[in-house]
Amino acid sequence: MDLIHEGKAKRVLQDPDSPERVIIEFTDTVTAGDGDKKEDFTGKGTIACEMSKYLFKYLEGKGIDTHFVKKAEENQLLCKKAEIIPIEVVCRNIAAGSFCRRYGIEKGIELTQPLIEFFVKDDKLHDPLITTGAIIRLGLAEREDLDFMRSVALSVNYYLEELFKQRNLILVDFKLEFGRTEKGHIVLADEISPDIMRIWDSKATSLDKDIFREDKGDLVATYTQVFEEMKKAKPDEVEPRTESIQVVVETKSGIKNPPGEVAKKALSRLGFADVEEVRMGKVFKIVLRKPITSEILAQLSIMNVKLLSNPISEKHKVRLE
Amino acid sequence: MVIAVLRFPGTNNENDILRALSLIDGANPILVPSRKGLAGLKDADGIVIPGGFSYGDYLRAGAVASVESITEGVRDLAEDGKPVIGICNGFQILSEMGLLPGALLSNESARFVCKWIYLRVSDNATMFTERMEGSLIRLPIAHAEGNYYCSDDEFDSLKDEFRIPFRYCNEAGEVDDSANPNGSIDNIAGIINQKGNVLGLMPHPERASRAVLGSSDGLVILENFVRATKC
Ligand SMILES: Nc1ncnc2c1ncn2[C@@H]1O[C@H](COP(=O)(O)OP(=O)(O)OP(=O)(O)O)[C@@H](O)[C@H]1O
Ligand SMILES: [Mg+2]
Repeated sequence: MDLIHEGKAKRVLQDPDSPERVIIEFTDTVTAGDGDKKEDFTGKGTIACEMSKYLFKYLEGKGIDTHFVKKAEENQLLCKKAEIIPIEVVCRNIAAGSFCRRYGIEKGIELTQPLIEFFVKDDKLHDPLITTGAIIRLGLAEREDLDFMRSVALSVNYYLEELFKQRNLILVDFKLEFGRTEKGHIVLADEISPDIMRIWDSKATSLDKDIFREDKGDLVATYTQVFEEMKKAKPDEVEPRTESIQVVVETKSGIKNPPGEVAKKALSRLGFADVEEVRMGKVFKIVLRKPITSEILAQLSIMNVKLLSNPISEKHKVRLE
Repeated sequence: MVIAVLRFPGTNNENDILRALSLIDGANPILVPSRKGLAGLKDADGIVIPGGFSYGDYLRAGAVASVESITEGVRDLAEDGKPVIGICNGFQILSEMGLLPGALLSNESARFVCKWIYLRVSDNATMFTERMEGSLIRLPIAHAEGNYYCSDDEFDSLKDEFRIPFRYCNEAGEVDDSANPNGSIDNIAGIINQKGNVLGLMPHPERASRAVLGSSDGLVILENFVRATKC
């Protein structure tokens, strides 16, 4: 099998049976601090692979689009080949790790709402934090892609957090990678294991890679234990979550907008003389029963063209809330 | 000839149309509520989509009605070459369906206009304007979204293919801006499809179908329509 990529913790192999698929092999290597700290733990690859499979299947069941196809060898997953978007998407519920160092705050502070952060996926630069403005201007991703990844990361956060909660496991933070499949769909890629997320028990004891970062115990035993707990949770008891989408419909520029003109005149009668132009449009709030997927966005374009807007005179924008 | 007069929830001109059609020899108008779907159109030789406020004009005038299942039957009949007229909201529905090009936007005044207007009928023969080519007629309008708009290319083909039978004009028959009640491109009041069997117009011929109503100019349009159902 052709090796496509040899990473710090996984190898990506070309699936000999399909050009659209890859085999992701989980190795026993664990690294931290940009690879400064590195060690092998027998069995780590297998457990990270098993857990990724379990959680990808769970998330797929909740409607999230992932690259997962099926399990191959014991430490291998067959996945859809994806062109990885070079942005790491981090979701945080509780302050830990680089977030604490960056802002000088104590580990363990609960954030009022989940926080999404973007990092450049580039080891040479030490994966720096990046703003959405810079991502767009550097051409690393489009605004729509970032909104999409943010929305899916928040869905993943909800579904993982609710599942873990059943077993008194606390989801502190995690990092996701997304990629574009041959079909052009953006899917959740890479892995979901304690290598990419922090999980605490109710006493804030780490059950993840922090064990290795801080030399606090037996890594494989901990990963195995946390996975056993996870498997006792009941996925069916996690309530589905709705997602809201906003569709903004406006008259195309160049076409007069009489309702806006009337509103403008009325504003100037009220003394708001500096208003140069008012254009009136419509906003639809669409609540979906499922997480956002590329498929749903494609359906939304059809909804727009078929009904919500008149493409002859109007333009529309879709905003994920 | 069976003429299906469609009624969507919110249509309110169906009785005026039925009465006007009943004055015409050979017309057998029947009311077809849209919920009947395709089955409601199985005997129809022609269709009138009357004015009103289908679905309360929610979304856009005509938009919700345009995706009802009965509109598939309207499409089929139109394809067969049977005559179809959409009046006012009916015109909005036909354009939302894409059976007629363009869109009907808010009146430039942003007001509902309800008044008698004059129309210049084009010189070119169409199925709906026989015996009235080039004439000046008087019909009432009553709408908030009658401002006909289409792309430049679409407008060129409408002109080149003589598909603009009705344009707003003044009492002297001059088609100019001052006679334009809603801001529509080139004073367009009504257009036909490429085949020539689908007419959409904002003015109401049925409300000018007897002298007692103030004008009977609209009757000719309906008579032409009824004659076309027999072809
Ligand atoms: N479905 C997929 N198709 C192609 N590549 C993938 C897919 N899923 C994940 N990858 C990529 O495979 C590699 C997995 O290797 P690993 O995670 O060990 O790399 P790494 O050393 O962490 O380096 P990186 O910083 O690139 O992640 C990553 O580069 C990841 O982006
Ligand atoms: Mg990696």
